[in-house]
Amino acid sequence: MSELRPPFCSRDFPATVEAASEAENWVARQASDMGLGEEAEFAIGLCLEEVFLNAVTHGHANRATISVCAEPHGVIVEFADDGAPFDPTIAPAKRINGPTQDFDIGGYGTGLMQKFSRRMSYRRFEGMNRLVLEFDAGRNANAGPDTLSAP
Amino acid sequence: MDMKVIHGDDEMTHVVLDGRFDIQGAQEVDSRFEELAKSSKALVVDLSKVSFLASLGIRTLMLSAKTLLRRGAEMAVCGASESVEKVLRTTGFNEVAGLYPDYDTAARALQERLAAFSGKKA
Repeated sequence: MSELRPPFCSRDFPATVEAASEAENWVARQASDMGLGEEAEFAIGLCLEEVFLNAVTHGHANRATISVCAEPHGVIVEFADDGAPFDPTIAPAKRINGPTQDFDIGGYGTGLMQKFSRRMSYRRFEGMNRLVLEFDAGRNANAGPDTLSAP
Repeated sequence: MDMKVIHGDDEMTHVVLDGRFDIQGAQEVDSRFEELAKSSKALVVDLSKVSFLASLGIRTLMLSAKTLLRRGAEMAVCGASESVEKVLRTTGFNEVAGLYPDYDTAARALQERLAAFSGKKA
């Protein structure tokens, strides 16, 4: 059960790479309809792709629920999944430091989420990972956060 | 995502991407990037028409850079928007491939590096 206050919308997805792409498009539509601006839309899409693919590839989740809640100056996105426990708020932010040929191809998601969200909070509740990501409206935001698409 | 490849007569391969470098976008261009990384001497990826870059798109770029660098080849990225550049700098991708404002600047930088590597004057 989400603790987000209305106005919010929520949608369930199977935890697959194909559904991650669909979820990405759905959240992008919500963010666009809310008039948050391109910068915020970019940040939300980036964080969602990271957390969804983590749940699928590393957490081996079966299902995920995404809830989007409008705020006066931004948006809150809750991502819940039934995969293995993982708290990205305490995971180290990896970065390539200095010129090298010996660098990892993946594992940069945590650092990106920390950089692109205003705040992240996590808890494990009723067998689900519950990650709450907060975003500010972008500099070019152009509408109030009172319009959400139907799921 | 659209991907246009221009092979120059100066050992330079110019890749122009257009669209969202998201899950679907990365899946559409992955295999072509893999081929280019195995065969190019110098690869410039033009991101000026890329409106979004996330996990799998970063992976595609990282994998290409690693393959190229291990072969002694070079890679650069040009034209990234503010948000796309922020992604690249946050991961440290700019440590392994230069970020440039436009194709001409990127191509010139790679030519100089190739010339220095082969002991010739740029």
